[in-house]
Amino acid sequence: MLDLMAQPSVTPAKLLFQQCVAESSIEGNTLNFIKNEISGYLLNKVEPRALRKNVWEKTLASIKSSNRQKNSIITDPFYNNLPVVLQDYLSNKKVKWKNYSDVKVAMLTPSNEGDKLELIHVMPGGSIPQHTHEGKENFLVLHGSYSDEYGLYKAGSVQTRDEDHDHKPVGHPTTGCIGLAYTDGKIKFSGKFSKILNFFNN
Amino acid sequence: MDNKSALNMKKTKTKEKNPFIGALAQIAKNQDMKSFKMVFDYFGPRLKSFLMSSGAEESIAEEVIQETMTIIWTKADFYNPKLASPSTWIYTIARNKKIDILRKSKKAILENIDTAILPPVEPKLEEDIEHDQRFEILNKYLDDLPKEQLDLLKMNFIEEKSHGEIAEITKIPLGTIKSRIRLAMEKIRDRIEKDNKTNDPNIKSLGIN
Repeated sequence: MLDLMAQPSVTPAKLLFQQCVAESSIEGNTLNFIKNEISGYLLNKVEPRALRKNVWEKTLASIKSSNRQKNSIITDPFYNNLPVVLQDYLSNKKVKWKNYSDVKVAMLTPSNEGDKLELIHVMPGGSIPQHTHEGKENFLVLHGSYSDEYGLYKAGSVQTRDEDHDHKPVGHPTTGCIGLAYTDGKIKFSGKFSKILNFFNN
Repeated sequence: MDNKSALNMKKTKTKEKNPFIGALAQIAKNQDMKSFKMVFDYFGPRLKSFLMSSGAEESIAEEVIQETMTIIWTKADFYNPKLASPSTWIYTIARNKKIDILRKSKKAILENIDTAILPPVEPKLEEDIEHDQRFEILNKYLDDLPKEQLDLLKMNFIEEKSHGEIAEITKIPLGTIKSRIRLAMEKIRDRIEKDNKTNDPNIKSLGIN
């Protein structure tokens, strides 16, 4: 029925991740602004197509039954380090953190799509046990930085990792690191405590 | 002319440039129905054109419009004229709403993401609205762009066609399409960055797919 359904599917997790990248990444910012503004420009230039009469009436009925939302800003300093797109997404949700020794992980979207989006908070100087990835993980650094066998990554950078990358990330000694991970498949721990961690991760 | 009247003139000029900035502020502050009708009458038929050109049926397109307008009414507070022009803000809402409506089962989640494109901003006063050079640079560049070039951007961004599909339709080689779209974006970026001296010098490469 709908041609649109044939488009590559965008899951909620992926959309939110893309929006965070667009807002936070050094490069994404300007480009995303341009891309969106081109769309807005074209909207002004398009040949209008008359709406059927009932659209206005339906809209009126719909705004009568809707609640106006007041713009609220989250004041928790931790949240101030997040992109506003994410702050807003989280504003009416309770974030459930899973605590590991140096790391806190919160699952942000339901994982029933086969992919997942996690907020990861590595404590200052803390490390994530050696692990590899099943599927592809895209990691966006939101605050602070971390380093691993491959390099040092600062806020605004995005790294893509897959099963070929076995690494042990360490958070910056004073700021730690807050990041957003979008994964197509499960992460598999490969170090000493891997059995336990893989169990928790399931 | 003293400073104050110069400021007033600037304000008036900005408002004239884009009456919808004022209209959205009126909706946010006073729930002004007249401004809302103005936004509806202008953007409704244009969104319909856009949505149908990206493959939506008429009834779906109108459902998207109705919901988009409802969001504009309830969340006009979130509009920040420094981040996007009114048409861009409205287009972005409609695009997300379209995804939402086509995937109703995930509605609850996507509804939250909707507000995502409306980042919370400090409550604003109309007097605070400064004219952002970036919008002018971008409009000027696009105004001067040949129609065929603009059509490529439209097919890519609005109709959401892949570069390959565009090549098939236009009979222009794939490589040419890729480089034309990239070039347009690079040129706009260069002009914006030339204007904006505080920009990060690290921005060099482009990552467009």
